[in-house]
Amino acid sequence: MNKILLIIQREYLSRVKKKSFIVMTLLTPIIIAGFYGVAIYFSIQGISGTSNKIAVVSENKTLLEKLPSSKNRNYQYVDQSLKEMKSSLKNGSYDYVLYLPDFDLNHPEGIQLLGNKQAGLTLSSKISDDIEELIRNQKLKTSGIAQEELDKLKTSVDIDTKKISDTGKEEDSSAGASTIIAYVSGILMFMFIMLYGVQVMRGVIEEKTNRIIEVMISSVKPFQLMMGKIIGIALVGLTQFVLWIVLTASISTVAMKMLVNDKDLKESAMQASVQAKKMPSAQVAAANTPGIGNIQKSLANLELTKIISVFIFFFIGGYLFYSALYAAIGSAVDSETETQQFMFPVMMPLLFGYILSLSVITNDPYGPMAFWLSIIPFTSPIAMMVRLPYGVPDWQLMLSMGLMVIGFVGTVWVASRIYRVGILMYGKKASFKEMIKWFAYKN
Amino acid sequence: MLSVNHIVKQYASHRALDDVSLTVEQGKIFGLLGPNGAGKTSLIRIITQITAPDSGEVIFNGKRLNSDHIAQIGYLPEERGLYKKMEIGEQVLYLAKLKGLSTAEATKRIKYWFEKLEMGSWWNKKVEDLSKGMQQKVQFVATVMHTPELIILDEPFSGFDPVNADIIKNEILELNRQGSTFIFSTHRMESVEELCDHIALIHQSKKILDGSVEAIKQEYRNNTYWVEYEGTLQPAETPFDIRETEQHKNMTRIKVQLKPGQTANELLSVLLPQVAIHRLDEVIPTMNDIFIEKVKQKN
Repeated sequence: MNKILLIIQREYLSRVKKKSFIVMTLLTPIIIAGFYGVAIYFSIQGISGTSNKIAVVSENKTLLEKLPSSKNRNYQYVDQSLKEMKSSLKNGSYDYVLYLPDFDLNHPEGIQLLGNKQAGLTLSSKISDDIEELIRNQKLKTSGIAQEELDKLKTSVDIDTKKISDTGKEEDSSAGASTIIAYVSGILMFMFIMLYGVQVMRGVIEEKTNRIIEVMISSVKPFQLMMGKIIGIALVGLTQFVLWIVLTASISTVAMKMLVNDKDLKESAMQASVQAKKMPSAQVAAANTPGIGNIQKSLANLELTKIISVFIFFFIGGYLFYSALYAAIGSAVDSETETQQFMFPVMMPLLFGYILSLSVITNDPYGPMAFWLSIIPFTSPIAMMVRLPYGVPDWQLMLSMGLMVIGFVGTVWVASRIYRVGILMYGKKASFKEMIKWFAYKN
Repeated sequence: MLSVNHIVKQYASHRALDDVSLTVEQGKIFGLLGPNGAGKTSLIRIITQITAPDSGEVIFNGKRLNSDHIAQIGYLPEERGLYKKMEIGEQVLYLAKLKGLSTAEATKRIKYWFEKLEMGSWWNKKVEDLSKGMQQKVQFVATVMHTPELIILDEPFSGFDPVNADIIKNEILELNRQGSTFIFSTHRMESVEELCDHIALIHQSKKILDGSVEAIKQEYRNNTYWVEYEGTLQPAETPFDIRETEQHKNMTRIKVQLKPGQTANELLSVLLPQVAIHRLDEVIPTMNDIFIEKVKQKN
């Protein structure tokens, strides 16, 4: 036991002390925070910031109303011809020129947006939304509906989803919140297993190619060496993840404070919701903005402690399950280039589980596919985490966790039998047939 | 101190060891010889408990070999290496602690050995910065520093220049004087003759020769002598087999094999009246000769 601790200590310290580890640990949060910072900065700037001055040249005789200006779209009707306006575009008094020809309301054709620069996708779709609304209002009016009636027609719908729990209590739930948690935990699980599982394999290959392996196993049992390595690297991974989360959170908080003050943020949120109410046709805004409050409420309502503890369980279980297989692969080869043929079958179920979980389960979290993926140990670490926020019956969770334990005990056992023979085989081309033979060897 | 009894080890289609028995006495240097692939490494791996035999047993100090004995055995494998990115001091410390030494005790001993082998300044160096010979020295220290009762060295001199090989040889002899028993596996027969008290020869999974170096050499004497003389010898009058003749100016050198029962005195009595004898040596076979002869015989 003492020897395993020594091995864990070495595996852990030798990795944590590496320059690449320190650089990666410090750099990743800065990159992530920077990325988010830039994204947030621009999304706020995008709403409140740059205003586009748009000259409207209208030859249309049926449209009685004018296009209403909004924060970033300032429409100004001009009495000049399109030709004249084209030249005034060049001297920069307007950003764009919108040309509305005399079209039939049922077939609005020939509308043009001219500018010195290509209008962005959002801007051009917003402008076309504006025109569509104008035309619709015009049509409604000509069919004799009063303005008040029109105003009444604009309603913003916000569905408040509630889940009836087993006890019959109504709980706030949100498909949005569940999906966010499902995605984040699914991705984290996949990344962790991939990144650190491969590190276990590299470590084993390193010991083999360095030829230190025989020195080591004259002092310790192969099983101790393998487990020590697996646990040591798991701790490295956990350390890195915790540091990433702490650093990212603190850097983003500081960066947020520096980039935007609270007033701006509140204002932009208000504006967003005002805009959304103004334009029911702008689907994205309408769906998102009123929902934010709901998502926050439901995040609090989801059983976070349960999710976190189950996450840690599958985090460790899934990692042990796969890293043992990676250790076995590492023991069977002489160099990393030879690992390809073995890596593929090990990665397949993981990748399969990842893709199916994020596509099928998030759409149908209670279906048979979701059930089986979250029960079978090959895919359960990812699939169960994706399912969990939507609610999983306790017996299924227990079954899945039980099978996970059996699963990793099983792979660790199989892997250690292959490992103990594999690490002493130099220059022998390993195959699956060979590995099965090794598995069958007596001590 | 160590006896190996009727060991059999079978790999899938290949029998690596076939009923091999041998005894290593306390305080001796035991040479384990054999051509490549004979089964030496398989046997050593069984003694170091890396693998287990299919049948047979190993007795260490009167007890069946078990995991308590790991700390009493030091093993320098032929395929050896170190963690490239680790610092030397830290690495040897790690290996020593795995053998059961405390940090304080291990540090003290590493300092002693590093001082002794002029490696004092190496503590903070990384393995990848050392030459191959330097790495071998580190490995030697890691093998012997927990003062094991039994030290197994597989090709210990490969990679050493003559100066360092000599330093290591002297360390082996000194450890031996202090009571360590050695098993020594090598192809280099001259080092066997210099160091070993006892040898066993393994060939094609079987032990084909076992005995003290003295006794084996005696056994392989075949009554052959080198004679150097001045003058002319009438071959017709010499009742011996002359195997080789060399002529250097007026000095002649012949290799003579006597018939069983004949002695050097009889040879001299024939030669004395005819020529002036400068030198007479008995040809003692080298371990190299015996090795080659034995292995060829079996093939």
